[in-house]
Amino acid sequence: MIRFENVTKVYDQKSRPALDGIDLEIDRGDFTFLVGPSGSGKSTFLRLVLREERSSSGDVYVAGKNVARVPSWRVPRLRRGIGVVFQDFRLLPNKDVFGNVAFAMQVIGKSRYLIRETVPEVIKLVGLEGKEHRMPHELSGGEQQRVAIARAIVNKPGILLADEPTGNLDPATSVGIMNILDKVNQNGTTVVMATHDDDIVNSMRRRVIELADGRVVRDEKSGEYTAMIPVVNADGTRELKPAGEVRVASAAGSQAIAPFDSEEDEL
Amino acid sequence: MRLAFILSEIGSGLRRNLSMVVSVVLVTFVSLSFIGGAALLQMQINQMKDYWYDKVQVSIFLCADNSSSQTCAAGAVTDEQRADIESKMESPAVAQYVESYQHETQDEALTHFQDQFENSPIVDTVTADQLPESFRVRLVDPEKYEVINELFSSMTGVDVVVDQRELLEQIFSIMNVASLVSLGIAGVMIVCAVLLVATTIRLSAFSRRRETGIMRLVGASKLVIQLPFVLEGVIAAVIGAMLASGALWAVARFFIEGQLAQQYPGTAFIASSQVWVIAPVLVILGALLAGISSMLTLRRYLKV
Repeated sequence: MIRFENVTKVYDQKSRPALDGIDLEIDRGDFTFLVGPSGSGKSTFLRLVLREERSSSGDVYVAGKNVARVPSWRVPRLRRGIGVVFQDFRLLPNKDVFGNVAFAMQVIGKSRYLIRETVPEVIKLVGLEGKEHRMPHELSGGEQQRVAIARAIVNKPGILLADEPTGNLDPATSVGIMNILDKVNQNGTTVVMATHDDDIVNSMRRRVIELADGRVVRDEKSGEYTAMIPVVNADGTRELKPAGEVRVASAAGSQAIAPFDSEEDEL
Repeated sequence: MRLAFILSEIGSGLRRNLSMVVSVVLVTFVSLSFIGGAALLQMQINQMKDYWYDKVQVSIFLCADNSSSQTCAAGAVTDEQRADIESKMESPAVAQYVESYQHETQDEALTHFQDQFENSPIVDTVTADQLPESFRVRLVDPEKYEVINELFSSMTGVDVVVDQRELLEQIFSIMNVASLVSLGIAGVMIVCAVLLVATTIRLSAFSRRRETGIMRLVGASKLVIQLPFVLEGVIAAVIGAMLASGALWAVARFFIEGQLAQQYPGTAFIASSQVWVIAPVLVILGALLAGISSMLTLRRYLKV
């Protein structure tokens, strides 16, 4: 579904590349975590998939198409196949829940009938039935993120990109959001989620791709948040508990400011 | 659906940016008024030229009963004097300069006058004996007016020799200068209007960057994203152009037709209906200016 072939992205010739020779493939229906400290290239990865940026070298394939070869007037069509969710929700403050979700259909010219049909279904899927006419400021953070997810999936994209979707939410709310993303994934959508939240990654046991300084340093089928600290016991089983203290200490270091960084704002 | 959506986007954009939109309307209104004013002046000039040019270049007015020049001391022109003038006109010395000439009696002068001012109330009050009899001379080379002037102005029975072209040209040159000044002001104002449209669109794009960002992400086409902004500028400019047309019509109707034409019945003025020739041009011009400037602005400030 998403394939990177030796992709390098350089923003500024003088500094090191944001992505440096990335080779990886994410299959249809996968649920993949993208982890790594700030500046490791997670956002650049997502921007390349969205064709917000073009790779400096190497090819990015999304749904079988080389995005560099997609002419600019076809880019909107490409993006219709990709849903995006952000840390800061990005809802329209002057539209209610229904309006925010419907907006994604209106702007691509879907019929009023189809909108009336589809939007309530999706709102129900994210667990917001009965709150269609609330305004965003009348919702909690978790509910706002649910609206954002509903908006991202209402056009039934094949891929859902989530950039720190739980970054502004408390752990309990985050679990709710993850359950929704899981449900979306089970409906067949490929989900790629960039995150700093180790608890979530560890509890989900999904594929983990770890980036550091623009390189893939780890790619595990059902991994945990970090491999920097060995958490595998001598007998080969994974045990979280003994490594817990060590891991939390190191993760906290990279997480302290991360949820508030704004490098993704442009996206 | 998409059309309704774009329209509602335009509506919300216009409301949100009301003060800027009003300033765009006013600036285009003023600048297009000046352009329209210049156009009206040119039309006025053409109106006068059409009538006067090619008809008469030099008029030799003959003495009437009330003429006061020295050559008319003997009173109105006699048949003999008239014949003298005519024979002089035919003489080889003069004939080489004259392409054609025409004698205009007082009755003909009246008909002529009535044609010219058929819309003016003065027509009813003028009688033939108030108008002088004249020879209307068309010269081979209009510059040789002085020759005719020298030859005829001292003859008895000739009241005055007038090069009407020269008289008209003075008026026209004043009017031309006025229309150039008007165009100059219009030029400056149009630069203002274009920059203001650009700023307004920029502001509008900035205040709606959340919407446009989301539109981009869910795959809205460039047209759907940009059209509301472009149309916002175009609508404001078109309103300005319509106001300008209205103002010009009001000036033509109430000032030119209502006042000038009454006060100076001797001059052929343009009619207010002629504003409707200018109005569509102004509207199209306004729309084009706003459209182009907003498209250029969007290319820089609205990533798609």
